[in-house]
Amino acid sequence: MKHMLIQFAFVLVLFAALFVTWRRAKQNVISRIEAFGWSVVWIAAIAVVLLPQTTTVVANFFGVGRGVDFIIYASVITLFFLVFKLFVAIDGFERKLTDLVRKDALKDLPPHQDSPDRDHPNEI
Amino acid sequence: MRTIAIIPAYNEEKRIVATVASICPFVDGVIVVDDGSSDATAHAARVAGANVFIHALNRGQGAGLRTGTEAALKIGAECLVHIDADGQHDPSFIPAMLAPIRAREADIVLGSRFMGVHAVGMPFSRRMLHVAIRFFNVFAMGIPRRMTDPQSGMRAMTADAARRIPFTQDRMAHCSEILRLVTHSDLRWVEVPIRVRYTDASLAKGQKSRDALKIVWQLFLGAFK
Repeated sequence: MKHMLIQFAFVLVLFAALFVTWRRAKQNVISRIEAFGWSVVWIAAIAVVLLPQTTTVVANFFGVGRGVDFIIYASVITLFFLVFKLFVAIDGFERKLTDLVRKDALKDLPPHQDSPDRDHPNEI
Repeated sequence: MRTIAIIPAYNEEKRIVATVASICPFVDGVIVVDDGSSDATAHAARVAGANVFIHALNRGQGAGLRTGTEAALKIGAECLVHIDADGQHDPSFIPAMLAPIRAREADIVLGSRFMGVHAVGMPFSRRMLHVAIRFFNVFAMGIPRRMTDPQSGMRAMTADAARRIPFTQDRMAHCSEILRLVTHSDLRWVEVPIRVRYTDASLAKGQKSRDALKIVWQLFLGAFK
């Protein structure tokens, strides 16, 4: 019964995601191709929730015993990747902030050609 | 050659006057970049005779150096000297650093603490930190092993060399980044011995052993910019 409840909750959330995806497509917030891609993801997730044994086939392909274990491994790797992407994005914002601070610090100097050229760095 | 010294400074109101005064006899001008200090560093530097540029926010030593470098190039410097604000670098070595540039034998001269001149008060942990960073520089950054000082903050360069090393690391990793840019370009570089004097105050603000990991992380992230 517990399994049924959690399956019901997941399926409900995934159907809501599917609904919101196509609503956004209708509102032209995302393209139809994008909406189709996301729909594939949501429907695959619904299939996995309703038929958990299907993940075991994929898990076995990758040499992992159980489907649930495979999902956990894949989730951890995905989360690591996303966190790293966040770090890189924050680093980019930090650099932009520095550029802004520098521009403000040097605002009283006349523009001159002789500044280091960030767009054409040495070949590394 | 019109030589301008660039000093990034953060909360150095107590030491910046002495530092600027000690550097002035060896250069034609001094630029201090106040890196978002909460004290009167900028005022003290102006009183000492420096040209002061102020970062509204603290952005790190590398960012300060770059701001100072851009300012120096804009006001027509032909030769630039990077030097720390805490007075740990002995400015009497500036002429020796400028000599290879004036003789047109080098485009950039890097001060080294490990070429025979005794570094006063350098703790053992700091030496070990430099060994670790040097190891990293050789194997991960491709910086030649003959480079003796992996983190020297004292360097001199021509204006042309300054334009050709567009370092972007805002914080501690700029030293390794500059070495990489220099050694992977066709710039002529040379190391000369310098003297540093570590004090309790400079050690308290300087790099810690754990900073080695921060430097590696900053350089790693920088590779994805």
